[in-house]
Amino acid sequence: MKILVTLKRVPDPEQKVKFKGDAIDFTGVNWVPNQFDEYAVEAALRLTENASAGGAGGAVRDGEVVVVSIGPKEVAQQLRAALAMGADRAILIDGDDGALDAEMVARTLVKLVEQEKPDLLLMGKLAADSENNQVGQLAAGYLHWPQATFAATIQAAEDGKALDVGREVDSGVEIKRVTLPAVVTVDLRIIAPQAIKNGKTAPDHAYPEGPRYASLKGIMAAKKKPITETALATLGIAPSLRVKTTAVTAPPARKAGVKVASVEELVAKLHNEAKVL
Amino acid sequence: MFEFSDEQKMAQTMLRQWCEKELAPQVAKLERGEYPPYELMRKMARTFALDEMVRASFKRLEERAAKGEVAPEREEGESGGFARDPGMSAIVGMELSRHCPGFCLAFGASLGLAGGAIMAKGTLAQKKRWALPILTLEKIGAWGMTEPNAGSDAFGGMRTVARRDGDSYVLHGQKTFITNAPFADTFVVYAKIVEDSATDPRSRPIHTFILEKSDPGLSVSKPMEKMGMHSSPTGEVFLADVRVGRERLLGEKEKDPSREQAREVFHGERTGMAPMCLGIVERCLEDSIKYSKERTTWDKPIAENQLVQEKLARMYMHRENIRNLLFKQLWMVKHGQKQSMAEASACKLYCARATTEVALEAVQIMGGNGYMREYHVEMLMRDAKLLQIGGGTDEIQIVTIARQLLG
Repeated sequence: MKILVTLKRVPDPEQKVKFKGDAIDFTGVNWVPNQFDEYAVEAALRLTENASAGGAGGAVRDGEVVVVSIGPKEVAQQLRAALAMGADRAILIDGDDGALDAEMVARTLVKLVEQEKPDLLLMGKLAADSENNQVGQLAAGYLHWPQATFAATIQAAEDGKALDVGREVDSGVEIKRVTLPAVVTVDLRIIAPQAIKNGKTAPDHAYPEGPRYASLKGIMAAKKKPITETALATLGIAPSLRVKTTAVTAPPARKAGVKVASVEELVAKLHNEAKVL
Repeated sequence: MFEFSDEQKMAQTMLRQWCEKELAPQVAKLERGEYPPYELMRKMARTFALDEMVRASFKRLEERAAKGEVAPEREEGESGGFARDPGMSAIVGMELSRHCPGFCLAFGASLGLAGGAIMAKGTLAQKKRWALPILTLEKIGAWGMTEPNAGSDAFGGMRTVARRDGDSYVLHGQKTFITNAPFADTFVVYAKIVEDSATDPRSRPIHTFILEKSDPGLSVSKPMEKMGMHSSPTGEVFLADVRVGRERLLGEKEKDPSREQAREVFHGERTGMAPMCLGIVERCLEDSIKYSKERTTWDKPIAENQLVQEKLARMYMHRENIRNLLFKQLWMVKHGQKQSMAEASACKLYCARATTEVALEAVQIMGGNGYMREYHVEMLMRDAKLLQIGGGTDEIQIVTIARQLLG
């Protein structure tokens, strides 16, 4: 199976956001891979290996994983980390986040899918910075491919031509069968020890929870793996935004509360001022 | 020059994540001695495929030896895996020490000291039989130099002897303060060869032997109780007429001037400490900054007090200096230059003293909390003190420097 996985870099969600005028100030920001995309990379690796066959030497690869990111040159760092985890090659599309919207990203991915012809476009369910949660759905629409979003489990069908995707919904777990090629976006449960069954790895195989650590061998090997650089224009994507960000501002600081002297005063305030009683 | 490569940084990130997830939750148990650190070391080696890399590197070494490309007994530096890259070793030392210097010490004593000594001077057969299992973590190594009456005066005061008896040696004596001794499988120990009773016992030649736990006559003590480094089991080794063949003599030849060999290991022991110091100092600084911004007195964070600021600034200064010393060391190794004994001693002296100072000040900034085990710096402070004693005391480093300065 050939899988195209998206990997966006986002500002470290644990860092404090700084503002400059009507925009976020990115100076001094620590860039990290979007967590859901990291999960997608892990899922892609689990789908394309036989983890039970490697013996002491680890898993045997069976398939191709291509990681793609849109961003500045520095994104190579995050792509290199994915290659160190085990992905086969990477594509870096030069682009500035400020000049993109979800729709443009989806169109870009469609162009890339036409070139690469993967069996599966695998993505994180959303990027932790903008939390748009649109690209996977839009790309599937443009490609006329089936889609399964928020995957908690993925099981390859016996003939290898479809995936059974488990989605956690209010009433329980819903299993959707998507025939390949397809778009799947993953949720956080996908990195559970037995969330993915690919028909090759023994069904009782339990992975350590979470995305794998790149081994030293993987890190050294990643040095030699190719990162192809391209640009939006090269892919034939003309810049046109449907959604424009006009301003980003910090939420207003919370005002200090008031202390009341008695229950009566509290009830009066709730009734007259807060109007909740 | 003063930065790690991209690959090294990536390895550092991975190792830091692993330490936070796997090592940090175990530190309390490790410190209480509830379980020895070795299973966790093995887990780390498997996670990062260290064992696999070492095996591959050994295979290459054997192939080259078979083709006659290297004289196996002189092949050096080919210690396999991350140990071949001093930057990677430094990262391991730093990252492990941020969480648990004792864990780092036990790891370093096995792979770096015991494994390193065999890799540096052993024959190919010895490397394969004893160093390979240590480097892959199948076996745990201990390195024994110190004796009850031979610490700073390690060579002169050494009383452990190896008596020649036909083609074998009979070792007799005692080693103490030996990291990993209570649990080790393989021991690298130093002993004086008895030539004849006329030779001054202080100046008898010293040779290195590889011993195994199962050798008749070898026994070890229980773990000793220490001020710090509780995660690292320390013990005594008793040698009561341990009879071994010539294959246990490191290098299998007596002619090498073995004091030089051992001095080189001292050199390694000294230079290996800078990364541990940097790990401890960075952790103390980070925790102190965080604490002093959160902790308030008289409605103000204590970070606004200049007396606290002075402590933080001094910690940062030491951090910068240790980092620079470490990078100079790494740069020299990379460019095939060797530090003089005075350089290595000055580095070790500065790093150890600065680390103790920083850790003490971290406790001071946190006050009563800093004195509590719950706050990590309490352990780091106790652990740091060892760095001024092990691998040559501060005083020995000073004497070494002075000796070189004064010719």
